Amino acid sequence: MRNYHEDLVATVREATHKTTSRRGLLIGGAKLAAGGAAAMALASSPASLLGFRNAMAQTFNGPVDVLNYALTLEHLEATFYVQGLNQFSATDFSGVGLSSTSYEYFGLIRDHEVTHVDTLIQVIGSLGGTPVSAAMYDFGYTDVTSFVAVAQVLENVGTGAYTGAAQFLIDNDDLLTAALTIHGVEARHASYLNLLNGEVPFPAAFETPLTPAEVLAAAGPLIVSNMPATGTGSSL
Amino acid sequence: MRQIHELFMSAIAEERQRVATRRGVLSNGAKIAAGGAVALAAMPALGRLTAMAQAFTDDLDVLNYALTLEHLEFAFYRDGLAGFTAADFEGGIYDNLILVRDHEGTHVDTLIQVITSLGGTPVAEATYDFGYSDAAGFLAVAAALENTGVSAYDGAAASIVSVDLLNAAGTIVAVEARHASYLNLVNGEVPFPAAFETPLDRAAVLEIAGPFIVG
Repeated sequence: MRNYHEDLVATVREATHKTTSRRGLLIGGAKLAAGGAAAMALASSPASLLGFRNAMAQTFNGPVDVLNYALTLEHLEATFYVQGLNQFSATDFSGVGLSSTSYEYFGLIRDHEVTHVDTLIQVIGSLGGTPVSAAMYDFGYTDVTSFVAVAQVLENVGTGAYTGAAQFLIDNDDLLTAALTIHGVEARHASYLNLLNGEVPFPAAFETPLTPAEVLAAAGPLIVSNMPATGTGSSL
Repeated sequence: MRQIHELFMSAIAEERQRVATRRGVLSNGAKIAAGGAVALAAMPALGRLTAMAQAFTDDLDVLNYALTLEHLEFAFYRDGLAGFTAADFEGGIYDNLILVRDHEGTHVDTLIQVITSLGGTPVAEATYDFGYSDAAGFLAVAAALENTGVSAYDGAAASIVSVDLLNAAGTIVAVEARHASYLNLVNGEVPFPAAFETPLDRAAVLEIAGPFIVG
């Protein structure tokens, strides 16, 4: 099984330069900067991202591989909301002009992401696979405003990731349908978070599918290390 | 190729009474967005409609199924918004509805193009009656249509054989979900009512959307 977290961490160090510009392309630049992700402290030795991208763009090694890709992102999202909502209260939200309803909706999104994690772990296990674990993250937000901005980025990237990866489940109707039922909910989150950030909830008639390489470029910088310490080569 | 409109029409002929009932419910502002599918399960005559929920014959069949729904959505917004102004809605909503309308129009055009390029015959737009009488009713129907659209794509995607077409469908369904989220919100409903979408099969979608098609 491919280890996405290790891939991510290894690549991020080499690919900072291109990652930054790609992220700009993906997100439109401003939001990620506002969200603090661009403030990630990254080493800066430019390297050939292309080779890695091609490798990542290849077909997944079976449905478990696809599901672990999804789980990698869901871990990231779930951790983001759990941590952020532990840190911020409804009062903190109202302090920046966000309603108590929006705080409730964040709690709901958190619950969705946790459910996605639990479900994917269960499905991967039932398929005889080894679910990837959560990693250590640094989401780079410093206050409610940047937290909400990062949330927007994560949900839009997540939607694009599912849109791009669903095709790799075409041979398994049940898993494809299951993935799409998550996909739609990520899109709902993204729509709401766009709106909350003062942007158009549905910026185009068609969603932009993201390749694993593009997702890596956008989300990879948020992953700062595997957890627990690696070295065993065991599936993470 | 099966004509989805014909299926709708034949079903409707027998369903007049329930159609009227359903539309009454809608125009009262009830939100079938979240609860519609559940409520349908308790309704009679599902057995007859189940016969229409056969697997799709091929990708063109799926595409025309999608086009049938996109026609319905686009006509809804095109004709409906022509009868309203921005002042009929709270701030910003009208502009977003225009955007939704344009998306649906683009979906229609694209599906027609794809179906034609594959040698198929795109289904034509039908005549609809959405049963709303004011802006609030219009918004309620909009939410119902978008939520149903998401469920329809989710239910049909597994029937698609072509990877390219599956990808294309994926790029549309996400946008429908974005619309649904927003329209739930402006209707005072939770934008994302569950951790998972509810895929609906053809029969269930027919139950919800069929009554809007009058000719």
